[in-house]
Amino acid sequence: MLELLWLPFLACLVLAGIHAYLGLHVLARGVIFVDLALAQVAALGMTTALLVGYAPQSDAAYYYALAFTVCGAGLFALTRRHEPAAAEGVPQEAIIGIVYAVAAALTVLVLDRVAQGGEQIKQLLVGSILSVTADEVARVAGLYAGIGVVHWLCRRPLLAISLGHPVAHTRAWDFLFYLTFGLVVTSSVRIAGVLLVFSYLIVPAVLAASLTRSIGRRLGIGWSAGFAVSVVGLAGSYVWDLPTGATIVATFGALAVLATFGLAGIRLIARLRAQGVQTLHGAVVGAGLLVALAGGALAVLPKADHFWLTAIEEVIPPVETAFLSPYERAVFADSQAAIARGTSEARRLQALQTDVQWGLRDLPEEERERLRQFLLSRSEIVAGDRMVLRTLRSKARERQRYVLGMPLVLAGLAVAGAGLRLRRRPRRAATRDVTPSAPRAVV
Amino acid sequence: MVLAVLVAATINVAATTTDLRELVAVVGGDRVRVESLTDPSQGHHPRELLPRQLTLLASADLLVRVGLDNEPWLARALRTVKTRARDLDGSKAVALLGTETPRLRSDERPHIHAFGSPNYWLDPEDAHPLTAKILESLADLAPADRPLFEANRARFLTALDARMARWLDQLRPYRGTRVVVGHDAWPYFARRFGLTITATVEEKPGIPPSAKYLGTLIERMRQTGVRVIIADPESPMPLLQRIAGATGARVARLVPSVGADPAATDYLTLFEVNVTRLLTALGP
Repeated sequence: MLELLWLPFLACLVLAGIHAYLGLHVLARGVIFVDLALAQVAALGMTTALLVGYAPQSDAAYYYALAFTVCGAGLFALTRRHEPAAAEGVPQEAIIGIVYAVAAALTVLVLDRVAQGGEQIKQLLVGSILSVTADEVARVAGLYAGIGVVHWLCRRPLLAISLGHPVAHTRAWDFLFYLTFGLVVTSSVRIAGVLLVFSYLIVPAVLAASLTRSIGRRLGIGWSAGFAVSVVGLAGSYVWDLPTGATIVATFGALAVLATFGLAGIRLIARLRAQGVQTLHGAVVGAGLLVALAGGALAVLPKADHFWLTAIEEVIPPVETAFLSPYERAVFADSQAAIARGTSEARRLQALQTDVQWGLRDLPEEERERLRQFLLSRSEIVAGDRMVLRTLRSKARERQRYVLGMPLVLAGLAVAGAGLRLRRRPRRAATRDVTPSAPRAVV
Repeated sequence: MVLAVLVAATINVAATTTDLRELVAVVGGDRVRVESLTDPSQGHHPRELLPRQLTLLASADLLVRVGLDNEPWLARALRTVKTRARDLDGSKAVALLGTETPRLRSDERPHIHAFGSPNYWLDPEDAHPLTAKILESLADLAPADRPLFEANRARFLTALDARMARWLDQLRPYRGTRVVVGHDAWPYFARRFGLTITATVEEKPGIPPSAKYLGTLIERMRQTGVRVIIADPESPMPLLQRIAGATGARVARLVPSVGADPAATDYLTLFEVNVTRLLTALGP
């Protein structure tokens, strides 16, 4: 495991280091999708290099990508409006969106004229963090360290512009920001793909901005989040046997959801303390309506997928089996046992088949064919048993539709009504303002 | 007037791939005008229908396709244009691999091509039944030209059989050699030339393998001494290079279709290129 994952892990740390910092700028500037636009511009540059005749993995293709990114950086620096009237004009996100769409379309048009390389460009945007090499990690680490030094030296004007404060030679500083940002994006996307780079850029910055106002603390939180997600994502990808890049992005998503719920929970507790239980009226009404809706859906469309009910039945089987006749229950139990037996046997034989395929075990040709046929038939039998379970579940649903569905509708409506009554109750005398103030950055 | 008659007498054929285009061209000779609807360098699944494809379909007398579920875009195209073209489904002419009951499969292994492996043109022997079907279709459209089509086909098959004997001879020492493939595109080629495919790096094209899968793959390759990875233009090369680096294997970049590599200019050179590259990778 370590042999395969230590280089991707190092690459993730390098990405987290620079992107958590740049994400703070991007968030403060309100140009969330700028990295997607610059990555697409870089892809256009690389595609043009292919058209000219360079190989996709060549240095020349990288420099083409870089040159296009510099042009994109220049465009974004020129189109940023700093005067107060900017809010009334065209927002920069609109320009970013146009650049993204046009660059993507031009890439398609150029690819149509390129003999080879379409797949490589696709892979460039999807990325493959698992195939990163030590040389690539060392190169981007060196480059990002250099960019980090430049940003440290120019931190005051760069931060001031990002936070909307007036600074002399704004366009020049803006160009420096977008140039270095473009360099980072072009290099990162090459090894990790657009989705992963976007996640490392935005999620830690958003998380940090929702927790603290200090830039220093935000950076610390962003780095910690990037580190934690890298470890959990890589380990999760290994343990659950999932594509690595997508797992890390999903872990970022899970972190964002957890943080949102966590912060909402903290705010709710504060409001509960200050205003009493009636502060929950919205949640109670919502929960009641949800239960009523689920019950109604079961009553009206019993054959549709009711995942909530399936999940409950997995934990408490009688919720399902109580709606089956004794004979059906026996068939249900038999099918479940047969599926477990068949799956386990198929797994064992598949392992044997794989060993034979790899030459780790010898089996005469006739035996191999018998094994193949046996596995196929076993697979069909298991599929048949699953179909039996589905049929029985469908029968149970028909019987559950009114016995469970209608009471759920009534119970849900009752809960929603209780929530509405909670709202009308006089509030506890509470004068303390507990609404958290929006964090403000401190330069 | 004479020119108009000649042009009208030409059979317009739209083939969905360059490989089928080549097979139609060798049988039809100068009596057919055949074009491929797809460019192999763009993959077999185009991003968007092109005006050229619709024009070709609209004017075609014969449509030759790979069949199975290899051309998901074709149904859309055929809904868009009205075509009088006869339909020749190549998959009905050959013995398919990987056809086992798609809908009821209960194991969790990916089965991308649900109705059988579609890359049958990569077995040179399949050119025999395919060209026979093409001959029948062309002869139905131009009965007077049947002798010409038969002569063309016989000439092509003679050349193919001669080369086939040489390719089999060249690869005979490596029969039974275990190889790993980038994508599941080589079962027919492997079967014909006696290679055993032990694993696929990207089981689902475009979705990178997990670290665990890759770790097991590398371990098995080391354990069993697999020394060749067959790549194609759509394979994730950086990943294959990494596996090759970790196992000491060589990557043989084969060409899945005519025109997917500048060296593979027709059906015969497609196999010349593939056999040569495979020999280089298998050699000492």
